[in-house]
Amino acid sequence: MDFNINNFLESFIYGMKYFPNTLRLVFIPLSVGLVLGTVAALIRVYKVPVLCKILAIVITVYQGVPIIVALMIYNLIFMMKYNDLAAFLHLKGTIADVDQIWIGIFALSLTAICSVSEAIRGALLSIDKGQDEAGYSVGLTKIQTIYRIVLPQMIPVAIPMLTNHVVGLIKASSVVMAIGIIEIVAGATIPSSRTYSFFEGYVAAALIYWIFTVMIEYLAKILRKHTGRFRRNLYD
Amino acid sequence: MGKLFEWSRFFENIPKILPYLTVTFSIVFYATFFGVLLAVFIVLIQIKKVRVLYQISKVYISFMRGTPMLVQLMLIYYGLPAIIDPLLGTSINRDWSAVVFAYVTFILNQGAFLSVIFYSAVTSIPYGQTEAGLSVGLTHYQTFIRIILPQMIRVALPPFGSDLVGLFQGSSLVFLIGVTDIMGRAKTIGSATKHVLEAYVFDVIIYIIISLAVRLLFWYLNKRLDYTNGRKTGGKEGIPWIST
Repeated sequence: MDFNINNFLESFIYGMKYFPNTLRLVFIPLSVGLVLGTVAALIRVYKVPVLCKILAIVITVYQGVPIIVALMIYNLIFMMKYNDLAAFLHLKGTIADVDQIWIGIFALSLTAICSVSEAIRGALLSIDKGQDEAGYSVGLTKIQTIYRIVLPQMIPVAIPMLTNHVVGLIKASSVVMAIGIIEIVAGATIPSSRTYSFFEGYVAAALIYWIFTVMIEYLAKILRKHTGRFRRNLYD
Repeated sequence: MGKLFEWSRFFENIPKILPYLTVTFSIVFYATFFGVLLAVFIVLIQIKKVRVLYQISKVYISFMRGTPMLVQLMLIYYGLPAIIDPLLGTSINRDWSAVVFAYVTFILNQGAFLSVIFYSAVTSIPYGQTEAGLSVGLTHYQTFIRIILPQMIRVALPPFGSDLVGLFQGSSLVFLIGVTDIMGRAKTIGSATKHVLEAYVFDVIIYIIISLAVRLLFWYLNKRLDYTNGRKTGGKEGIPWIST
């Protein structure tokens, strides 16, 4: 087989050039997911009436939607309706002025909220009810108990699941190339369309993702040790 | 342009898309069937700690878990011809249909993911179980089939179910290499009629139904296989699959 190392290196450099786009596509949705996902998980665990039922149904159903189909639909609706919306809100500019990456970020954020809330809900359920009661018994309010007692214990339990979801998000972020956003995969194959070396391009993209995810998993391991240092028995 | 979404077009699309569901199901079937075989092979390597192969399997699993499905699909699509053609003098890019590349990718991918599930299931059974089996005179093979496997299936079932849900969703990517599954069909309808939203919405409904059905099936299987009489339950949540 012919594997052209020069084409590979060129693809690798192009892929790295668009690496910041992937970072935006991963970490903005992750931050949104961590905030809103935690809120959603708390609502479900503490059984806020009506809202907890609605969230349970919406999250269960939305988890059945493949990210690429959701992305296609959002992209389509955005393309068709943006100009009307901009006219309605008296915004200047047309669709051409908007960076398409925000559609990707929007779609990935919704996915992140669902998956993060499931991970955090699992971790919250693993905290004993006695911890809440202990908090109330010393006169803490509900919010204080959650913030000072439950959340710190929940974090080390949630980290392994969250790491899986972050890696899942990194991998999911590659599908946005289907609507024309340039991130690692699309970037690495820019030189390929000139040199016809698509194989080298995709190998370069795979390598970048591989290094990135292995690094994230390593960092998560350290973070888990650090956040769980007050626990008497770590699980591993 | 007309209206963005119209129910008449939505219902017109149903008979056009539904036959292509077989493509999705065939990908999932092949990936699961051969994936399980590959996973068993990998788990055997890891348990017996076969030299060289053990290290290769580690790297292989790390690669499959660390790179996006999309990239793996493209690597197989462009890489398999680049490797096999010069060796055998074939041109498989023209001879094989695109769906074959999808099969190969998903089998390789599932092999890695399932092997992780099976490995942790096997190692979750205490070694005392094997010793107990051997002490009453069972052979190693009998111990595995009668003692370890039934307990292992119970442990492996929940992650296997969520893996299957993920596999159905992942199979929606194959239209990117030109396979006409339900997504690919939606795209062709879109380019023929200029109205693609109805087709996509129908696809979403199909995927949601599949995902809920798989969750329900595995929840039911999980309940049926709970022969510990609820003594040993994983968590106190009870029903993780349909979580209301």
